[in-house]
Amino acid sequence: MSHLQLIRPEPATGATPARRRKISLDKVAVDFTTRGKTFRAVDDVTIEVPEMQFLALVGPSGCGKSTVLNMVAGLLAPSEGSVTYDGAPVEAANTRVGYMTQKDTLLPWRSVADNIGIAFELRCRKANAAERRERVAEMIDLVGLKGFERHFPAELSGGMRKRAALARMLIYEPETLLLDEPFAALDAQLRILMQQELLRLVERRQMTVILVTHDLEEAVLMADRVMVFTSGPGRIRTERDIPFERPRNAMELRFRPEFSAIHEELWSELKDEFAASVERERRAQ
Amino acid sequence: MTDSSRLWLQRAILLVAILAAWEACARLVSDRWISSPVAIAERLAQWMAGDLWYHMMITGTEIGAGLAIGIPLGVLTGMLLGRSKRMAAVFRPFIVLMNSLPIVALTPLLIMWFGLGMQPKIVLVAFVSFLLMFFNSFSGARAVDEELMDTLALMGASAKERFVKVVVPSCLTWTIAGLKNALPYALIAAVIGEMMLSRNGLGHLITRSAQQFDMTGIYTALFVLMVVGGLINEGTTQLENRLLRWRHLETRGR
Amino acid sequence: MWKGSVVRNRQKALNPRVVLVQQLAFLILLIGAWQFVSGRLIPPFYISNPLDIAGVIWKWLADGSIWVHVRSTIVTLFMGYLVGAALGIGLGLALGLSPRTERIVAPFIAALYGLPKVALLPLFVIFFGIGLVSKVALVASVVIFLLFYATLAGVRDIDRDMIDGLRLMGASGEEITRKVRMPAILPWLYTGLRTSLGYALTTTVVSEALSSNRGLGFLIEYSASQFHSAGVFAAVVVLLVLSSAIMVPLGMLERRSKPTRLSH
Repeated sequence: MSHLQLIRPEPATGATPARRRKISLDKVAVDFTTRGKTFRAVDDVTIEVPEMQFLALVGPSGCGKSTVLNMVAGLLAPSEGSVTYDGAPVEAANTRVGYMTQKDTLLPWRSVADNIGIAFELRCRKANAAERRERVAEMIDLVGLKGFERHFPAELSGGMRKRAALARMLIYEPETLLLDEPFAALDAQLRILMQQELLRLVERRQMTVILVTHDLEEAVLMADRVMVFTSGPGRIRTERDIPFERPRNAMELRFRPEFSAIHEELWSELKDEFAASVERERRAQ
Repeated sequence: MTDSSRLWLQRAILLVAILAAWEACARLVSDRWISSPVAIAERLAQWMAGDLWYHMMITGTEIGAGLAIGIPLGVLTGMLLGRSKRMAAVFRPFIVLMNSLPIVALTPLLIMWFGLGMQPKIVLVAFVSFLLMFFNSFSGARAVDEELMDTLALMGASAKERFVKVVVPSCLTWTIAGLKNALPYALIAAVIGEMMLSRNGLGHLITRSAQQFDMTGIYTALFVLMVVGGLINEGTTQLENRLLRWRHLETRGR
Repeated sequence: MWKGSVVRNRQKALNPRVVLVQQLAFLILLIGAWQFVSGRLIPPFYISNPLDIAGVIWKWLADGSIWVHVRSTIVTLFMGYLVGAALGIGLGLALGLSPRTERIVAPFIAALYGLPKVALLPLFVIFFGIGLVSKVALVASVVIFLLFYATLAGVRDIDRDMIDGLRLMGASGEEITRKVRMPAILPWLYTGLRTSLGYALTTTVVSEALSSNRGLGFLIEYSASQFHSAGVFAAVVVLLVLSSAIMVPLGMLERRSKPTRLSH
């Protein structure tokens, strides 16, 4: 099967299609047991993500945002409630999503190019060598890793490894992206460029996205909807639609007054949570 | 003069000094216990013109055949057993026990089973290398980064594909570490087997000389073994450097 | 925090009781099969059988004849181990602290390290006679190298910048040793001491089998030379008990929790 068949057609212009429910979490709770003690990481979380929506989850670290992604990816089962994808319960590794975890999970014994191309070695996405080379080169170009194709992950900086991981995920164009702090290790300029590139790709390919970040600016710039999480246990404190147009220019957006207003509004919610999480960590010591 | 050539010059001077002192002691005091470098060199030349290659072939064959059986079996069993949670849990105490037993202690038993020829040594080398490789690849399979497995699973990799693309290469690190033990150990095992009861091989060269109180013969055989052992060590180090280039970069980067 | 991994909480955890039952079942099956096969499929000359082996061990325990061998093995092991460790650590510290000399002699040490040390046994027997001294010398010759390389690695692990920093803060030489040098060397020493104990035991048993008149290695070799297979297996079982009593508490399997290498 050629990779071209994996790419879904460009959107029909004009009529807005009825948005199906893509991902849904219904009254989900997750308990973890460490050293015999059980604690609740996520509590009473209900999220509905329609197809093609870009949802951002923000909150202090350790608030269970990543846990939500793990459940959608099918890597973790909820202790209570249910998680469905395309209407079917998620019960095993969800191969319809591309998941970029916080830790870059590049295979350390493969070069950058071989890491990025690995999806095409798998039976379900097999591509011939020439095709593969071409797509890998394209992706390497996209994430700005030209000249580093033959390097091993250990030879790259943290930011470069992140970009390679991003390329590896984007290369097979999954219909849904789960992104866990994808740009955290990048410097400011590169971050803006990568955000813009990702937006372009997501809009063009009509992907559904859940982005986890602690950077509120990033969330507002990129998402259609932002959810603020409380911490310990993670609950949804508030949510807000972000009314900016698509396709969107993130570079220019950040200078608009509406952007500042929304940012300020959400920040007032978020800062209490950050304060609470700092306080809790202090007490835990 | 560059640093490295000066270093080698110093080493050469040291070597010559040691040999000269040895030779002087042998000539001026007595060569009864310590033989002498010249006598050893002469004996070596004599052996090289005679049956040294035959004995080396015997030891080499024992090592080669034993490793050819032991390594693949050990690596494969270790990986498969290590990936099964239940098998790993059930067999763990037995593995720990076997790991603590000095396996070469079984040499007399193997000689009793297989007699005087090469067989008991081949079995011994195979057994020792099997166990060393098994322990390493078992640990390697247990230590596979599960997040890498997850990543491939989400890309749609089947269990077999995950095994081939994640488990096998990440075990390779441990396998190479195992080889670094197994190859020198194979020589040790073969020599022990030959010293215990044999009519040929490098170990036999030692015992033969010892029985005749032929000190020159003992030192010559030790020299040959030192060269063979050194070559094996050097070879495995080279092999490791080639196969695990990515890992060296990793440790250097830290 | 939780590190995300494949549906871990959906897989059922192993029931430790079931595992224990399976372990016992495997053991019983193994011993039962051995007993059954012996004399039916394979002549007992080769593999003896569990009942006979138990009988031999019982006899050895009853008449106390086993203790002389066990004691001999333990004494040889620990004397060789201690002598070798002391020399190895001393040499490692001496050369570690004079890196220029170390660089010159390194290839000579590496060459000696490559020699299979058991081959030295006939030489030691000629020098020291058949008895404790030659065996201890052989065990020590194995342990020296392992601890030499471990100590050397530890000394190289000492952080020079940290020493300079502490000097600037006015720390004394003794304080620097306590706070920087020792913490750098100790983990390496610990690993070296643990790993070399296994090699020391192997060497002890081999030296007993090759030239001795006591010890568990001798007992194995002697029984084999008499074609007394029950005796061979019985001695191996006693050795297994002894070796696991020494090694298992030290967590010898755990030493493989990282693919580390001792030498070079």
